Amino acid sequence: MLKIWSMKQAQQKEETAQGPAKKKKVTAAQLRVQKDLSELALPQTMKTTFPNPDDILNFILTLTPDEGLYKSGLFTFSFAITQNFPHEPPKVKCQQKIYHPNIDLEGNVCLNILREDWKPVLNLNAVIVGLQFLFLEPNASDPLNKDAAKDLQEDRDRFRRNVKTSMGGGNVRGETFDRVMK
Amino acid sequence: MKVTFTAYHAVAEWKWDLPEDSDDTCGICRVQFEGTCAKCKYPGDDCPIMIGECTHCFHMHCISDWLHSESSQGKCPMCRQPFNQKVAEAPAAPLRTPGGVAAGS
Ligand SMILES: [Zn+2]
Ligand SMILES: [Zn+2]
Ligand SMILES: [Zn+2]
Repeated sequence: MLKIWSMKQAQQKEETAQGPAKKKKVTAAQLRVQKDLSELALPQTMKTTFPNPDDILNFILTLTPDEGLYKSGLFTFSFAITQNFPHEPPKVKCQQKIYHPNIDLEGNVCLNILREDWKPVLNLNAVIVGLQFLFLEPNASDPLNKDAAKDLQEDRDRFRRNVKTSMGGGNVRGETFDRVMK
Repeated sequence: MKVTFTAYHAVAEWKWDLPEDSDDTCGICRVQFEGTCAKCKYPGDDCPIMIGECTHCFHMHCISDWLHSESSQGKCPMCRQPFNQKVAEAPAAPLRTPGGVAAGS
């Protein structure tokens, strides 16, 4: 009585005959990123910018912490999302050279959900919240910048001073850092 | 008064028979289970649902892509338990139509 299945089959046959539609195909990764971006609830301290508005897989996240040791700094992160998203995590890099126990001098970020703990049910919001957390609570366990981790662990005041110096574009332990004061 | 039907449109509604309290969207592609994964065009039997022993559900295409990726280690993307398809009851009657109207193939 209901012909929906046979109608569906007919439709399928027709489309196979015509060949695939010529229009630009939106990929699975793009669809999922679109959803994630639309659900993003960014606080005042963060914003996203799209250097190429046609490419939602590559964007910049600007973070301006309003509390913690990194307060008053302005940090940008590049997000590069592959067509394998969400099966692969986004590739996130800090674009400034900063003094932080969980970010190395090349900008690589040590955040568990960007590595071994990534799973496709996590979304971009989870990654962004994770980044925000790193600036509020830098941690000395599992560090990428061992010197900074050592400072944080041994002498929180020294660490605090070093953060200040580095954020002003100063020199810490022979490394010159980028000025990130906004 | 005499009414004569000259035409009618039959409308059927269907839903997957999923474990109680499961989400209504697939956590991987974030599309409703009654819709398709990003690769498919036609919902229903063409883009079926896979239910894990852990009771988490995904579009079959979504979960198999994940399980084939190296980083999954065969684990459920929700609870990280090893993902095994739940057998028995589930595959028998995937379609449920209201009022007992059969929309079978
Ligand atoms: Zn899905
Ligand atoms: Zn599918
Ligand atoms: Zn599970």
